[in-house]
Amino acid sequence: MAEPFDIPDSTDWLNTPLLLLAPLENSLRCQICKDFFDNPVLTSCSHTFCSLCIRRCLSNEGRCPTCRLQDQELKLRRNWIVQELVEQFQNAREPMLSLARKEAARLTNGGDDIQQPAPKKRRVGFLDQDEEAEAADPGSQRMRTRSRGVKVEVAMQEEEPEVIEDSQDDDEDFVPEDGLFSCPLGCGRRMKEAVMFTHLDVCTGQKAPSPAKPATFGSLQPQRHATQNFIDPPERLPAINYSLLKDGQLKKKFRELGIPDWGSRALLQRRHTEWMNLWNANCDSRNPKPKRELLNELKIWEKTQGGAQTPFASAADEITRKDFDREKWSSSHDDDFKRLIANARKKSDAQIRSTIPGALAASEDNVPAPAGPIEIPMGNGDPVVIDSDGP
Amino acid sequence: MASSVAQKRLFHEYKNLSTNPPEGITAGPVSEDDMFYWEALIEGPGDTPFEGGVFAAELKFPKDYPLSPPTMKFVGGGVWHPNVYPNGTVCISILHPPGDDPNHYEHASERWSPIQSVEKILISVMSMLAEPNDESPANVEAAKMWRERRPEYEQKVRDEVRKGLGL
Repeated sequence: MAEPFDIPDSTDWLNTPLLLLAPLENSLRCQICKDFFDNPVLTSCSHTFCSLCIRRCLSNEGRCPTCRLQDQELKLRRNWIVQELVEQFQNAREPMLSLARKEAARLTNGGDDIQQPAPKKRRVGFLDQDEEAEAADPGSQRMRTRSRGVKVEVAMQEEEPEVIEDSQDDDEDFVPEDGLFSCPLGCGRRMKEAVMFTHLDVCTGQKAPSPAKPATFGSLQPQRHATQNFIDPPERLPAINYSLLKDGQLKKKFRELGIPDWGSRALLQRRHTEWMNLWNANCDSRNPKPKRELLNELKIWEKTQGGAQTPFASAADEITRKDFDREKWSSSHDDDFKRLIANARKKSDAQIRSTIPGALAASEDNVPAPAGPIEIPMGNGDPVVIDSDGP
Repeated sequence: MASSVAQKRLFHEYKNLSTNPPEGITAGPVSEDDMFYWEALIEGPGDTPFEGGVFAAELKFPKDYPLSPPTMKFVGGGVWHPNVYPNGTVCISILHPPGDDPNHYEHASERWSPIQSVEKILISVMSMLAEPNDESPANVEAAKMWRERRPEYEQKVRDEVRKGLGL
């Protein structure tokens, strides 16, 4: 399991000179999962969440978690600009953060230039840790786990296909179907028929300088991506009215969908809802995952919330476990136990009532336990009395 | 073990609370092996009879957190308050899911929603200590005392606080 402190978080900025980025980062995170928006969608009431997060909420409760207005999954709309903001912020995050941390380290070292190697060394250590973290948990945030140099390289690689893509616009043979006409003098401009004559009066036939390529800034172009990735767009799954289907029909449906069909009816319904949410959220993605990845996610759900839950050590189970650390437990709850003992004694013996709890703890071996309360032998050998009627 | 949505979210909240804790509040999992069981310490708010006290509570999170709220219970006793059951369980609207209103008095907007958090719960509990809500008493005796014999209530709370500190 990943350490909690490997999770990138808006508080990363707090001890750096860029602490104003903390609220910015916070607003780029989904308020349900606290992670960066993943396939952000907009509700009817104009609140933005990850597609999967809001789908789970809506199938659970049918209301927006922020304003509690009723909403339906069908009404969710993709929020491309938020996706763009998150992607660009994530690209910039690691370099910005390491710079900010270097600066913070420099400031704590008194801003002395001679001390420069020290923060550098620290930064190397920090990166090493991160790489370890990446090795341990490849699924965690990639922004955090890559060194700055590598990140820039990756960003450039990512942009390359976009530039190639854009060069199509300059291709003379390429004629977009936008209802516009290109200038017959060959200046390369395109315009409506009505403005063509005024244009011809001033046109020199020289090619206009090509417009700046927005791709260098990673501009989001949903239509282009849509044609790129949705050649065979996955079809959304409709909701099932479970009460209309008998068990056999429901299981047949599950086999058609390719998801496990074991378990009670309640579990089947919950599994189908989760599958529908996973599937439909994936349809909101620019780069939909293959079905086997979704099946893996369903497996995780099955293990953590569905029918294949491993019995989790709850607090009550924990103290009955064989490897339970009794020493630690008794020392950490020492005060509680002492107070409980004091309360129990107060009831049984009027004389001890005036004694302070500290003195009681010292002499507890000599005093017999009252009849009512339960007695638990503790690690340190002292009997501890728990009074269930205590205040 | 693959970590669930709930675990990831609890990690986020844990980190946020440890790097940037609100004043008078400390909280985190008892053991990092079980993110679903937390312990919290809340300072008694100033200018109230709870001032000077430190109250320990346990928080238990459901597997479908944050869709469903956690439960919160003061441990070790000593919280004499209209909205705290004698066994320590806290009864406050932010801990109740919107669908379920046993007392029929809470506005949906005050109740649990996935965008709430441990931090908001603990802040609400702190302000609950300062301003009890006697519309839905969990501890009827305490509520009666608070309503009818305020000085006695405040004295009892102060005594409990002193006892809790071992004075």
